[in-house]
Amino acid sequence: MTEKIAYYPGCTAKSYAKYMDLTAREVMKKFDIELVELTRWTCCGTFFGLAEDNLTSQLAPMRNMIRTREDGFTDLTTTCSMCYNTLKRANILIQNDEEKASRLNAFMYEEEDYEGDVRVWHLLELLLEKVDIAGIAKKIVNPLKGLKVAPYYGCTLLRPKEVTIDKNPEKPTILSDLIFALGAEAVETPYMTECCGSYLTVKDKHLVADRTNRIIGSAARREADLLVVSCPLCQFNLDRRQKEARELNSALPEIPVVYFTQLMALALGVDVKELGFHEHYVDPTPVLRKRKLLGTPMKVPVKVKK
Amino acid sequence: MVNDPYPDYMRESIKIVEKTREKRLKVTMDHCSPDEIDDVLNNYHPDFIKAQKASLRFGVSKGEVVPLEVAKIIETKSVLDPKKVDLNKIDFVVDLLIIGGGGAGANAALWAIKNGVKAENILIATKLRMGDSNTTMAQGGIQAAVREVDSPAIHYLDAIGGGHYENDPPLTRRLVRDAPLLLQWYEKLGMMFDKFDDGTMDAIHGGGTSRKRMHFAKDFTGAEIMKTLRDEVFNKEIPIIEFSPAVELIKDDKGQVAGAVLLNLDSKEYITVKAKATVVTTGGFGRLHIQGFPTSNHYGATFDGCVMGYRAGAPLKLMKSVQYHPTGAAFPEQIVGLLVTEKVRGKGAQVLNKNGEQFCFPLETRDVEASLIIRECGGRNNGLVTPSGQPGLWLDSPLIDQIHGEGTIAKNFAAMVRQFERFGVNMIEDPILIYPTLHYQNGGLAIDENTATAVKNLYAAGEVCGGTHGSNRLMGNSLLEISVFGRAAGITTAKSIPKVSLGKLTLDHITKYNALCDEHKVKNPPSPILFPDYSRQEHKDRIIPTNFLV
Amino acid sequence: MDKTTTEVTYEKVKIIVANTEFEVPSNLTIMKAFEYLGWRLDRGVGCRGGFCGACSTIYRLKGDHKLYTGLACATKVEDGMIVAQIPISPANKKLYDIESLKAVPNTMLEFYPEIARCISCNTCTKACPMDIEVMDYVQAALRGDIALAATLSFDCIMCGLCATRCPAEITQFNVGVLARRLYGRYIQPEYKQMTKRVKEIEKGKYDAELEKLMKTDKKGLAKLYAERVREKA
Repeated sequence: MTEKIAYYPGCTAKSYAKYMDLTAREVMKKFDIELVELTRWTCCGTFFGLAEDNLTSQLAPMRNMIRTREDGFTDLTTTCSMCYNTLKRANILIQNDEEKASRLNAFMYEEEDYEGDVRVWHLLELLLEKVDIAGIAKKIVNPLKGLKVAPYYGCTLLRPKEVTIDKNPEKPTILSDLIFALGAEAVETPYMTECCGSYLTVKDKHLVADRTNRIIGSAARREADLLVVSCPLCQFNLDRRQKEARELNSALPEIPVVYFTQLMALALGVDVKELGFHEHYVDPTPVLRKRKLLGTPMKVPVKVKK
Repeated sequence: MVNDPYPDYMRESIKIVEKTREKRLKVTMDHCSPDEIDDVLNNYHPDFIKAQKASLRFGVSKGEVVPLEVAKIIETKSVLDPKKVDLNKIDFVVDLLIIGGGGAGANAALWAIKNGVKAENILIATKLRMGDSNTTMAQGGIQAAVREVDSPAIHYLDAIGGGHYENDPPLTRRLVRDAPLLLQWYEKLGMMFDKFDDGTMDAIHGGGTSRKRMHFAKDFTGAEIMKTLRDEVFNKEIPIIEFSPAVELIKDDKGQVAGAVLLNLDSKEYITVKAKATVVTTGGFGRLHIQGFPTSNHYGATFDGCVMGYRAGAPLKLMKSVQYHPTGAAFPEQIVGLLVTEKVRGKGAQVLNKNGEQFCFPLETRDVEASLIIRECGGRNNGLVTPSGQPGLWLDSPLIDQIHGEGTIAKNFAAMVRQFERFGVNMIEDPILIYPTLHYQNGGLAIDENTATAVKNLYAAGEVCGGTHGSNRLMGNSLLEISVFGRAAGITTAKSIPKVSLGKLTLDHITKYNALCDEHKVKNPPSPILFPDYSRQEHKDRIIPTNFLV
Repeated sequence: MDKTTTEVTYEKVKIIVANTEFEVPSNLTIMKAFEYLGWRLDRGVGCRGGFCGACSTIYRLKGDHKLYTGLACATKVEDGMIVAQIPISPANKKLYDIESLKAVPNTMLEFYPEIARCISCNTCTKACPMDIEVMDYVQAALRGDIALAATLSFDCIMCGLCATRCPAEITQFNVGVLARRLYGRYIQPEYKQMTKRVKEIEKGKYDAELEKLMKTDKKGLAKLYAERVREKA
């Protein structure tokens, strides 16, 4: 029977990262898990210009947990690392700080009280727990043979340690495990847990370009075909900022940056109309063709926006 | 039931209504025959009570039969003393002055711009805020013969028959012919009409329609139109002067209209506007409470435009005829008079007497349906009377969900459900009590199909005009009217403005009109009244007059 | 509706306006209570039917710390109610040409970047007299879900109470109107039959028929009118 789990897409999943969202839903279906989008949801709470005091900034994540309960769920998952991080940290605060929790509940008097009883999962974590690596490997129909994939974790999946989805946040292996399960080769780099520059991309794109240059450069030196990420902001920075990074380092090769859900969809042969590669700055299709990984059952539009 | 809003005797009657519901579900009453229609109108329609009418004794439409309340504010002096106005000092000089910030005014401004008038050369003067109007309140829909099975000719016939053949043919033609053009423009502006997945707009019947051509945006059709038009007026940066109603038109020595005198409601000072074209879009007269009826109208619907126009020499027509909407709320008391849109009957709710019986076809034209309801209450004594003395009949709203499925009322009539809910009545479960409410001014300023009045440079559009609907307007033809004729006014004035040359400004017509009033020894308070007065006599008696203007 | 203020048969309650206590019948709305007191209104009054948003009112109730919001025309007086009106909510509406816009996720943020300041406090929703999920539509706009923002905000009467209460200083009602226009213009499909009908009208297809009807006398019209077949409901 299909298991249902509450799903929090996150704002970018409705726009910039819509292919992360679409592929996540399809991938999970392969494992008989249905991602049920919350009936009502708000921003996870990470993107506030106003909320300087830390209690106010907990309203949004807490409200999403309340919505999860309203929809009759006890577990909530999301694909976006940043959303995961924000939701999870708020949940931990509510679980551990009774006084703050009661102040938050008092402020939100129009909602049911919430005491931290929703379990927040990152989708990767959920996959490993509910399906496990062997279960994933079993469903692969289109093994990504010969593809060299550099895992990139960034910060928010791993830090602070209370929220980490990997037992060893200093040297995580979850993504590499997944990459192996998909039949590809993992190319780990020393930069895989470094910050991408995050929201500074708005204020100072050259700072982010510098980070991108190091992260992409490091993967290139190890001859990676592409980078795999779990966060729309990391994806944006590492993909789009390659243009500015090349101004710093003209020798920097183009390396595509894809979501783990896109890669999984490719390997699982899920029936999706498109994987969204045409929306990437660096188009992943040439390298995938080179490795003979494209063809049926996927149709990949050739239109590339640059 | 805890806190039942209905008193016991009304609850008893509701129980009878519930008992007969199942049986009534598939039974629709027949239309009235033409003879029955004549009979019920003559005996029960308020328009046919002679004692409630007067003939105008002077002015350009001398002899025109009007309701007493209208005579009282037409046959009187102006609130403005012409001697006090300095016409040598003009506050605003514009090409186009639009008096009234409702749907017709907004359309006139936007279409004038589309036809070459510069936004900065327009001024919209409005009594309250931009958009405060009956347009905003129109819930039901807008007619337009768009569907394959329909045509402007069929629409014409529906409108002219419904209007008892008293319509002005060129006006009705323009109304029906331009209807799809306006609806398409609204679609392009981004109004959210109810549509099917393929883009086809949903359309239903209204009273007196032979084709389903009422298009709607839930039960917020007028609000959706007005919100969008206002947004567009703001986008075009059209100058607006709010809380500044016009009190009289200005003319020139050639007898042309040349602008208006406005009243600043805060400082109470007058403001002079000189304009090459003046469009009156002030709406109707619901707030005159003709024959003591409650009204569905906006607070500002006080006949100002007709009063000003009449003094400036523009004739009135069809003033004998008033539209009473068959279904105004009769209970609870806080919302008496508020419109219960015809769409409720369109979707299947039946009108019932206190015994839970149908007594007529629920979608006769408005005048006939209203008369039938008045007859059932007063004439046949089959109505209920609320604790505050308001008669009423049941409108069996729960039938709608029974016919179309649960949730239909909540989805289609959100505004109304909320309206009743605020005062404890649940129209999804219980029927609601209704009685005719004063709804629309059928008569008004006479215009041609390009919105020109008989006075040069004076134009009018919307409810302020008479003739388009004859002596009875069909549902959905008033949102259409403000659209079609608002647009027409914009196009016409854009053409006329370059040819206008104004002479010396004057308010002599007011002086002369005031003299006529003296001649006829009128004792009515001055007009336009601008707002209805709901204060009680005990307060009026104690007022200390200050040097504030009125 | 409110032809005259009701004769006093209802028990009286006290309301407080500007630190002054007034006795009014308990069955009145706030607006009618003002008129009962002899006040002639020209601010904070409009359609009197809950459609125009002119009579935004804030009030507190006896022994209750909460600040309530409502429409004066649709809120009944209560004993001990302290009332003030906010007839207009100042706002900087952004100007745009609807024809040159695109219904893409970023459009909302581009015009109203302050929506990103929303902290999901839900004060706007609590303030809305139309029971709209205001926070939800602002959040939908933030993530570029124009369709959801449009449908959720549809009943908005633009009274501005949400905006006056918002700690992030968003003018929600303007965000809503932009979302609805984008939705109506670009997301709802075009009504093709209407485009066809407009072309027919512009080509004069119905002119002759209308001309003929205009020349038909009353008797002839009455015959045609009586012979009409009403399309089934």
